[in-house]
Amino acid sequence: MHCRRLLKSTIAFGTILAVLVFATIIAVPPYSSYAIPAFSRLYGTSCTTCHLDFPKLNDFGKAFKDAGFKFPKDDESFLKAPPIMLGAPAQAELWPHTVYPGVIPGLLPVGLRYNTYFQKVSANRDNFNLVLAPGTIGTFIPKTDFQPGYFSIFSAGNFGSDIAFWVDDDISVAGANVNGSLGDGYLRFHNLSRLIKLPKDSLTLRVGQFEVELPVSQARTWNLSGWDIFSQANIGVQNGLTPVQNVNNTFALEDVVEGVEFSGGHLTRGYHYSVAIVDQNTSGTMVSPPNIDPQNGVAFYSDANFKDIYARFVYRFNLEKDPVSRADVQAAGPTGPHDHTYISFGTLYYYGRSVQRQTGVLSDGVTPSVLTAREPFYRVGGDINFNYRTLNLFGMYLVGHDENLLPFTPTGAGGPTGFVAGPAATFSGGFIEADYLALPWIMAIMRWDQVKSTADRVNFIEYNPASPPPSSFFSPYSATRNRFTPGIQFLIHANIKTSFEYQFRPQQIVYNPATGVPITKAFRTNTAVLGLEFAY
Amino acid sequence: MKSNTLIAITAMAALTGMAHGGTIHGKVSGVSGESVVYVEAVASKTFPAPSQQVTMDQKGLMFVPHILAVQQGTTVQFLNSDSVAHNVFWISISGNKKLGHNLGTWPKGQKQAFKFDNPGVVPLLCNVHPEMAGYIIVSPTPYFAETDRSGEYKIENVPDGAYTVTAWHEGAKNKSNPVNVAGDTTADFTLSK
Repeated sequence: MHCRRLLKSTIAFGTILAVLVFATIIAVPPYSSYAIPAFSRLYGTSCTTCHLDFPKLNDFGKAFKDAGFKFPKDDESFLKAPPIMLGAPAQAELWPHTVYPGVIPGLLPVGLRYNTYFQKVSANRDNFNLVLAPGTIGTFIPKTDFQPGYFSIFSAGNFGSDIAFWVDDDISVAGANVNGSLGDGYLRFHNLSRLIKLPKDSLTLRVGQFEVELPVSQARTWNLSGWDIFSQANIGVQNGLTPVQNVNNTFALEDVVEGVEFSGGHLTRGYHYSVAIVDQNTSGTMVSPPNIDPQNGVAFYSDANFKDIYARFVYRFNLEKDPVSRADVQAAGPTGPHDHTYISFGTLYYYGRSVQRQTGVLSDGVTPSVLTAREPFYRVGGDINFNYRTLNLFGMYLVGHDENLLPFTPTGAGGPTGFVAGPAATFSGGFIEADYLALPWIMAIMRWDQVKSTADRVNFIEYNPASPPPSSFFSPYSATRNRFTPGIQFLIHANIKTSFEYQFRPQQIVYNPATGVPITKAFRTNTAVLGLEFAY
Repeated sequence: MKSNTLIAITAMAALTGMAHGGTIHGKVSGVSGESVVYVEAVASKTFPAPSQQVTMDQKGLMFVPHILAVQQGTTVQFLNSDSVAHNVFWISISGNKKLGHNLGTWPKGQKQAFKFDNPGVVPLLCNVHPEMAGYIIVSPTPYFAETDRSGEYKIENVPDGAYTVTAWHEGAKNKSNPVNVAGDTTADFTLSK
């Protein structure tokens, strides 16, 4: 999400490739996450009303989100700070002859968040310097490292009606001021279905910048590291020693998108769907026309008229035996409340077009021209989520597929004049995770991530020594990268959390760049990460 | 035996002289907000449990009232007036964990009853909403009162005699003082955290 702007710049392709892979696969930076203390203030209630282990939502939190960041029923009776009226309700009778009445929260719904980390990398980290000539300064990877994380500000709420909003922004990242960016920023018009006589909550409109409705939110993950499959781009084979693919799709599902989303249903029961139409941002080419001054607040980051489409559908079966509990927002029994015992099945589909532009010639074989390949791509996946009281098992499988249009140069032409279809660039993978809430303040986590990408492996087996990527800290042993990540999290307070995870990294190997011969056995650079964060 | 009988008769005569009941009044200081003042158990004197039930509500994610004083033997109805589920439990009564109890969880409009047969301080909690807290002060005698915000209180119809009177305040140390009631009697308390 935060490297989005970077990816839109026109830096050299090799640098993009290396930085992208390095950042998303190996560095596995701690992810940002959000809980909303502003809601605690407004309602005078604990974070644990909505969160199991912030920012992971419990069923009530999901219902709160579903309702437009308010209590599903009788919201006004829970507000501890009375809202400020922006017009008497009776004004509504005069509409459209007056401004429709609304409210703003009695307390400014703003929250702050900060986190910091300590990590320790295993001794194998030095293996990557084996390829360097004596006397060469290599990439230094410290054994241990303290690392400041994100300092973020965020706000969310509703306008006393069915209009909700959310804005979050990272003010500082890794100790560098104003190095972050806008995360999500949107308005959400809930329950539009009532205007067209559809069932309640069956149609909601969201407008702005947002993360698409993933099976689990990468932007608001409770893990220290994100799920690998959501950060997987599809670059295609670029190693000149093998047939090269003309695919450079930097899009990853974790990216925020700009557009509109239609959704409906509930996250706590029955169906829920999301259909989003968003800007295409897939070529790494930022387009901001010279006649538009970005300082005026308008800039174009999309590079085509085509819009990408995202669709998701999930159906959840609540399995509580007691009919009353089954229908309630949060299941309850004699020993207290708990999330419903449930199982849900979901699917997602993303369709877009990745634009590749390059210098070529017209069909006369002489006249210079810019050739544009619009390569269709899709991501399709399925997911399952099972919850039994305090045990939550979930996972997903995803396939990525990019059409590959190779430049075609006719005999005698001074450059390519068009494109022909080549073998598609594909990847696949997913994850399985088990979260066990041993106590309300202790959650144990076991996770397995897998990404299978032949291109990722080929690209780093034998790169060009004359133009190496900025870091050699990545060299997958095989096309399949597995990562096991056990972890445990403690709530020191409801809004202070310490997290630990041990990342059994994907197997790696170091090749001699000149010969392509392996000079190490397969090894892993495992990492232990300890995080501390608070929301205020 | 004969002297014991005389003492008992004298004590009972003193305690049952309701027609000549006095009043204990005063002020609880050193703390702010409502407190509860009650007469401790009287030796060899029992009081019938009140037949009237009282209600402790859960409304707006709060126990309402925050503090409820009842006589030993009173049945309290725990009502949920919120549109979210609430739970009621207490881990002890005056520190005695054997008296801890979990009433369960129930939705809006429903209530659960519990008869408090043991005197003491019952710290109420809700395991759905950890910020919620309330107190039931179970007085061993019918002689108790809640103070106003300024700490003033008045306990009426207390028979003349010698008693131990205790003042309780949330988060403060209890204080018990001997009080000889003879008509209109003053008993002030100074509590500290």
